[in-house]
Amino acid sequence: MAEFLTPKNLVIKIVVCSAVLAVVMCLCALVGTQRISLENVLAGPGQGPGENTDYEIFVGVRIPRVILAALAGAALACAGVILQAILRNPLADPYILGISSGAGLGVIIAVLSGITWSFWAGSPITVFAFAGATLTVWLVWYIGHLAGKSQVTSLLLAGVVINAFFSAVIMFLTSILKSHQLRSTTLWLMGNITEKDPSVLWVSAVCILAGILGLFSICHRLNVLTFGQEEAKGLGVDPAKTRFAAFGLAAFITAIAVSLSGLIGFVGLIIPHAVRLVFGPDHRQLLPVSAIIGGAFLVIADTVARTIVAPAQLPVGVITAIAGGPFFLVLLAKYSRKVSWLK
Amino acid sequence: MSGIIEVENLSFSYSQRVILKTLSFEVTSGTFLAIAGPNGAGKTTLLNLLCGLLKADAGHIKINSSNITSYPIKKLAQIVAVVRQEFVPVFDFTVTEMVSMARTPYLGTFGFESNADKEIINEALETTDTLQFASRPLAQLSAGERQRVFIARALAQNTAVLLLDEPTSFLDLKHQVGIYDLLKAAQLEKGKTIVAVTHDINLAAQYCDEVLLLGGLADYHIGKTKDVFSPRQIEKIFGVSTFAGKVGEEKFFIPLGKFAKDSKHITSKPSNGQ
Amino acid sequence: MILKKSWTLPTITIVCLSCVFGLYWAAASRKTFRLPTTTSPPKRIVSLAPNLTEILFALGLGENVVAVSNNCDWPAEAVSRKKVGTFWQPNTEAIIASKPDLVITLRFEQQKAVADTLNRLGYKVLTLKVEEIEELFTAIQKMGEAADCIERAEKLAGSIRKKTNDLQSKYGLANKVKTLWVVQVEPLRIAGRSTFVNEMLELAGGENAIGPTIGQYPQIGTEELLACGAEVIIQSAMGASNIDRQQQAAESFWSKFAALPAVKNNRIYVVNPDTALRLGPRLPEGIEIIARCLHPDTAMEKHNVALQTR
Repeated sequence: MAEFLTPKNLVIKIVVCSAVLAVVMCLCALVGTQRISLENVLAGPGQGPGENTDYEIFVGVRIPRVILAALAGAALACAGVILQAILRNPLADPYILGISSGAGLGVIIAVLSGITWSFWAGSPITVFAFAGATLTVWLVWYIGHLAGKSQVTSLLLAGVVINAFFSAVIMFLTSILKSHQLRSTTLWLMGNITEKDPSVLWVSAVCILAGILGLFSICHRLNVLTFGQEEAKGLGVDPAKTRFAAFGLAAFITAIAVSLSGLIGFVGLIIPHAVRLVFGPDHRQLLPVSAIIGGAFLVIADTVARTIVAPAQLPVGVITAIAGGPFFLVLLAKYSRKVSWLK
Repeated sequence: MSGIIEVENLSFSYSQRVILKTLSFEVTSGTFLAIAGPNGAGKTTLLNLLCGLLKADAGHIKINSSNITSYPIKKLAQIVAVVRQEFVPVFDFTVTEMVSMARTPYLGTFGFESNADKEIINEALETTDTLQFASRPLAQLSAGERQRVFIARALAQNTAVLLLDEPTSFLDLKHQVGIYDLLKAAQLEKGKTIVAVTHDINLAAQYCDEVLLLGGLADYHIGKTKDVFSPRQIEKIFGVSTFAGKVGEEKFFIPLGKFAKDSKHITSKPSNGQ
Repeated sequence: MILKKSWTLPTITIVCLSCVFGLYWAAASRKTFRLPTTTSPPKRIVSLAPNLTEILFALGLGENVVAVSNNCDWPAEAVSRKKVGTFWQPNTEAIIASKPDLVITLRFEQQKAVADTLNRLGYKVLTLKVEEIEELFTAIQKMGEAADCIERAEKLAGSIRKKTNDLQSKYGLANKVKTLWVVQVEPLRIAGRSTFVNEMLELAGGENAIGPTIGQYPQIGTEELLACGAEVIIQSAMGASNIDRQQQAAESFWSKFAALPAVKNNRIYVVNPDTALRLGPRLPEGIEIIARCLHPDTAMEKHNVALQTR
């Protein structure tokens, strides 16, 4: 009797991983530049601001930050899984189709225009980054479609061209920025997690979780899609529609993650690989587990980023790059017999 | 399950090159049809047309009396299964995962297999004798074992029609015979209509009920294998002279090239040739 | 395909409603800071910028300042206060741990995020924009209101204004000296006409050698540089150490541009921006330093100018 992935199996795995994530988040929230004690935190808020600073730091500063890191990590990891499936390439990452340069362009335009008022919940940078990412992605999709009926290669080419062009525009605009604007742009480009409004977190969480759920519903189709167009059609999966849905949702959640936390690299590339090495390539399992592990990874990376050179802060993108590489090599060494494309 | 294929006046060309011209034939349910012919005659193109991957320029293809283009993609996948040349997928799926994908046209929202699906998959694995490496990644299997897995997948798809594109190329003799035995069993026990593109005339003659010989463009011959396969026909289509022999009712053909051993010395036992 | 599933429409509806709820919550919880009118003056003040710290000490509130940014280096007592992160990256946790009852920030992106978080937690935050000389006086007034020392604020503002006006009448009405203020050497960036550096330059009797530009601190090319005809070049030092060495390096760099009157007459000065260019109580001193670079007939050697700026 062969072994199958059942809903029960999957739910157990997800619950266990989520528990690990919750523990990681709580532990990381207890760590920071100020020492706080757990009992003080549990004592609850004081009468007014300044009464129980441990509680305020924990709940007001660290928890939102940790939640943001978990959300961004989950979104980026999921997007990585999806793009590697659509492009049938284990080396794809969420930024490959123009999202990074589009969001970057949005940010620079926001910073240059000097708009300071907030759009309800989001700062101008957040909103413009999201708009930039989304518009660029659709531009890439449209060009890819024109060039070759949304075949994978034409998509990739369109992405590369747009990335190059927008990067040039970004470089031009950067040269006319003021110094403090330049700083915030650079920080953003390196990936930076800061404290955000709870309402922003709420909206982002809802959107990202909905996006992940939508992607989960087409995971079994993605399994088939990785074999190519013809095989997919032979098994009753419409490749164009599946690709469109997957790409659209992946781009959406990446745009949200990028607008919140800047361009954090490595998460979308490494986490799907790592999870695939351990759990196998079945996307019904790969997607949710990658989301959770991606969240945990970024939470830990962010905690390191904000404590290692305290009281200064490193951009979290630096930590993900430094940590991601060796971590992945270790996994690869251990599980390399499972990887066919290395042979 | 019934799998009737009707092809009427089918024409197809790639850009300027005409491949097929006014091809018409019918395959009744439960027949094992071989498609043979020289390279470039359009065998694979015809197969791709039959499974709905390509659209005909003129004429139509009907499956179970409905035009193939009228079937939604999911429904078509429940009727027609295709086995192409074997390949190694980009990601390391195991044999079980591979065969489970055959149930995709039948799965619900989140794509988990029901108990019925699991039974069908297990049966397919058992029939093709691949249950022993159910948990191994596909890349670790030999070519013959991989091909059996692909056939298991097609069987698990539980379709009335099974299309195969050169299922035994790159396989050794034992595996060639094994695959054809599998297919014949599927035809006889499950009543599947099987259409296989093949280069092997002898195996086709042995196992297949009918054969469609494609000579290119409008030149084609269809009929029972014993009627269509003859040295004269083979010489005309392939341009190779053969020595035909019989073992009981079974015909066999030995190709005679320029440097082939002297045919005079070949005797057929127990009965005469032709 | 997904759209056909029965749960798609309810999910999309829930998502949209949640977003609307979130945005409404954001709008509703937007707190505006009102200057305290009845509560007692703040006793624990945190300042996140060097010039704000200087103003606080000048207002006599030095004892109430409990924490400052890493870059706050004047007066000497400020250096010994608790540090809460840099000017670019203030550390919210450290700020909260200092239990402030008033936090003063500048208005730009990085500090805004911190200010928002503190606001949300209920702390009183005063955000000021101090990018021009006139804004300095407004800032002093606002700080006076927030810290309940309005008279002292008026006195401070008045004294700065008077000193500035005196300097302007002493130096500013003479012949304008064409000056180039260099903020960065590689690549070459200068302070343009819409900066407060330019304001100070003009008060000290100078005129920016470069005409109006798009950016505030634009890069300029060699052509434009050679055509500007600057009579004096003032360069911002990088850090306070080794001013002598920086002076020598600057002179050797500029020797390439022998066509400029400033280079021909060896009128190149390296000045410490932290001292001379701080928009705070030491504004008059900064203007004076600049004036002495521009008008050597007050008989100051370069070396002394450098000493003065340490």
